[in-house]
Amino acid sequence: MKSKIEFWDDFFKGSRLACARLITKVENAPALVPEIRDRIIPCLRGAVRIGITGPPGVGKSTVTASLAGLAVKAGRKIGIIAVDPSSPFTGGAFLGDRVRMQNLIGNPNVFIRSQASREGHGGLSPTTPYVADILDAFGFERILIETVGVGQAELDVLGCADLVVLVLQPGTGDVIQALKAGIIEVADLILVNKADMPGLESLLDALKFLFDMNARPKAKPIPPILTASALNDQGIDELQAELEKLIEGQASSGFLKQKKLARLEGEIKAAIQNEIWEKFRAAAGPEADIAEAAKRLDDDGRSPYDYIRDLGRRVSLKFTTENPHGEHRP
Amino acid sequence: MADPIIKVIIAKPGLDGHDRGAKVVARALVEAGMEVVYLGLRQTPEAIVHAAVEEDVDVIGLSILSGAHMTHFRKVKELMDKEGLGDRLLTGGGIIPTKDQAKLAEAGIGRLFGPGDDLQTIIDYIRDWHRSHPR
Amino acid sequence: MANTDPKKTWEPKFGRSELRDADFTSISGRPLRPLYTADDLAGLDGDDVLGFPGEYPYTRGVHPSMYRGKLWTMRQFSGMGTAEQTNARYKFLLEKGQTGLSVAFDNPTLYGRDSDHALSVGEVGKTGVAVDTLADMERLFDGIPLGRVSTSMTINAPAAWIFAMFLANAEKQGAPFAGLRGTLQNDILKEYIAQKEWIFPPLPHLRLITDLMAFCAGHVPQWNTISVSGYHIREAGSTAAQELAFTLADGFEYVERAVAAGMDVDDFAPRLSFFFNAHMDFFEEIAKMRAARRIWARRLKDKYKAKSPRSWLCRFHVQTAGCSLTAQQPELNIVRTALEALSGVLGGCQSLHTNSMDEALALPSEKAVEIALRTQQIIAHESGVPHVIDPLGGSYYVEKLTAELEEEAERIFHKIDELGGVVPAIEQGFFQREITRAAYEYQMALFRKRKVIVGVNDFRNAEETLEIPILEIDESVERDQVRALHEVKARRDNGAVRRSLAALTKAAATPENLMPRLLDCARVYATLGETSDALTVAFGEYMEKPIF
Repeated sequence: MKSKIEFWDDFFKGSRLACARLITKVENAPALVPEIRDRIIPCLRGAVRIGITGPPGVGKSTVTASLAGLAVKAGRKIGIIAVDPSSPFTGGAFLGDRVRMQNLIGNPNVFIRSQASREGHGGLSPTTPYVADILDAFGFERILIETVGVGQAELDVLGCADLVVLVLQPGTGDVIQALKAGIIEVADLILVNKADMPGLESLLDALKFLFDMNARPKAKPIPPILTASALNDQGIDELQAELEKLIEGQASSGFLKQKKLARLEGEIKAAIQNEIWEKFRAAAGPEADIAEAAKRLDDDGRSPYDYIRDLGRRVSLKFTTENPHGEHRP
Repeated sequence: MADPIIKVIIAKPGLDGHDRGAKVVARALVEAGMEVVYLGLRQTPEAIVHAAVEEDVDVIGLSILSGAHMTHFRKVKELMDKEGLGDRLLTGGGIIPTKDQAKLAEAGIGRLFGPGDDLQTIIDYIRDWHRSHPR
Repeated sequence: MANTDPKKTWEPKFGRSELRDADFTSISGRPLRPLYTADDLAGLDGDDVLGFPGEYPYTRGVHPSMYRGKLWTMRQFSGMGTAEQTNARYKFLLEKGQTGLSVAFDNPTLYGRDSDHALSVGEVGKTGVAVDTLADMERLFDGIPLGRVSTSMTINAPAAWIFAMFLANAEKQGAPFAGLRGTLQNDILKEYIAQKEWIFPPLPHLRLITDLMAFCAGHVPQWNTISVSGYHIREAGSTAAQELAFTLADGFEYVERAVAAGMDVDDFAPRLSFFFNAHMDFFEEIAKMRAARRIWARRLKDKYKAKSPRSWLCRFHVQTAGCSLTAQQPELNIVRTALEALSGVLGGCQSLHTNSMDEALALPSEKAVEIALRTQQIIAHESGVPHVIDPLGGSYYVEKLTAELEEEAERIFHKIDELGGVVPAIEQGFFQREITRAAYEYQMALFRKRKVIVGVNDFRNAEETLEIPILEIDESVERDQVRALHEVKARRDNGAVRRSLAALTKAAATPENLMPRLLDCARVYATLGETSDALTVAFGEYMEKPIF
């Protein structure tokens, strides 16, 4: 098949603009995603993806920038994906994370990309995993993924990252929020930033209590808890060292490989679902105008299952009352 | 398919700290459905264009009230051309005399806005430019 | 009694009247009633609230005789290009009988950077004069006896080391420090809040300010150490009440810092002055200025226990609102500026700057500057306004508005206290967020035409052609300035410079007063940027989180 992207050569020759344009393609042109995946996946170099998440205002950008600064000093090439929320009303987004990353701008070993979350609801954009792969294939060795600071349910980052750093700050009751959102259970490392603020001791106590109570799956080790003041560059060396230790451990235990396989599995499943849905819709014809059907059914006050079964018959799929939801999540 | 979302960088080159205009415009563009990368104060032309490359933006908007507009707009435009961003829009605003606007337009810089230009004019200008310059 | 209350007669009549479709709120969005009456004066006209001019709480003015004794100072801020050009302008002004100088610095200087810094490109000499070393200060004031003129310098982040250069120059002229008169703006808090020209985090900057205050109290007693500024807060888009409250809160913060540093409030408070904006909403601005005097006097007396009445005085400079000027039909700006200037005079200002009509287009031309100055002279000498002290005193509307602004300011002070004070509120982005929101709301009101700017969003002139002359700055200024800087660096004793800067860095880590160290650096021609860098080693840099 003829390539629809004319700048592959530039990309593989190391053009930053080509890399940036490729990212724009995955964001804006879903039809090009298969071609991009075909070319990118064989070129993956095994970059480690580190998710940085936490409630708003805890200093995720500053932590990200300091970590990147250290890694660059150590001779590593760092990609950063900083995700900010899209407005559900206008679709616009304010991408302000670069302001905190001034020191990295212009460094050839760093590539920063801001992303709007668009249709993503879990703290990332639906295309963030692809962007991470593009940066991996382009030659970046660590990919730092900074999530939206929505304070809860930033669970997309789990699927996308090999390691998750949860950033908290003293004095805000964030632990409770994080606990509710289930994020404590999945953090590989907890960083208490702004450690010079009042309330540090009580936050550390709360965390200790949580883990003493075994608030996480047995198989998962209790995450290291570090303190830092990223704005003053304090505690970042320790964070970096701890992360490298974790990466080392996960690489040797095969966990990184496992994560990679899980991602691949997820992508296959999602792509098939998508493909089937498109085929289904094509086969069902104009009847498959769901929005129209929903309106009709609602006007009549009817349950949708007759309609679903009827559609299913047309394309010879079976929707039974035993499995009324079919393949689609509610 | 709907029009792709327009991506814009808003930056303040040079040393003046008056960011009221830049912020009001940034917010208006977000509310008009654009994705706005805000770089903030005191950016060198090099840093602005470097960021524009990584972000692959459609539009670079500069806010300059210090009187240094001739230097900064020209330098950013020169770097854009050098880095392969010659097909993107460079626009902006500030206290920029009409005569200077004309000179900058000759250098390939887009429309420049001043105090009192309303936000809708700016939004429409960017949308029209984007529609007539598909990438 | 047969006589009914006339207000009761009027109210239903007003209620039945057809009203214009307009937004009857102040420019700050304050709801206004159609009529104010004697009822609104209740509790507001007593001596403890209104009082007399020159008497506590100074609502009606800081002097007993106000403009009958002395008109406000017409102080037009200027400075551009090289030190020589500005020096020539100063000499011209002094020959014309002006007794005070006002120095505008260029952006690199305001930000503590040398003219050859990467970020200075294109900015040198643009919006003021460039000062890199003592040598520039010498040229700036060449032939001007510093002991005999009063010098106002609009400088903030590097104020302490610019002042050190000024002092070193006075020393070379043989002018004793004790005789020097003038003002430094030196108000770093509003930089974090609005103007964004800072170098270090807030605490080290505040320490430099208290060092300077202490040094002046001991050695330069006639110097006004801080001009606490609301002007820039308003220009950034705040409401009138925010300008009032944020500015006074900054003033209180300086008082508290100085007291905490061991100074007696009556030793420094008389040397604090203020700087307000005069925007387009005529009565709201007058009320704001009157409220400022009352709040300051009450706090200084009651809370900070100042004993000297001079400490209670809120003396202020006023500048008309730059942000109200339009690029469309710029001649209309003359009218805007005249109204704003009149509100400054009715508000009881001590000095006034009127903007030039072309400032939305470029730096002001000579013609425009002259018209601006003449505007003040017309108010002073033709209008008759200055003949009577506080002519709006007792106005139902103005007194009510003054009280409302005071109450709103008190609510804002309370909010700032809840956040832990001015510095924590800055760090949490409180002021920045409030201002950004107000600016956006105003912009939206213009967009929806709920507020009108003539010639901009209504009453436009479609065939407008611009016919005012525009000033242009010669691009050679930057080259000349950079060359002069390099010559100084080649000529000076570089060993002495290194030693002074190292001593400064070391002292910055201790609590000692840094002014003598800064003077040492200035004397050996250390540059502005080198001095900033030496302090940055000890203090670190500050970066703001963007607030929307």
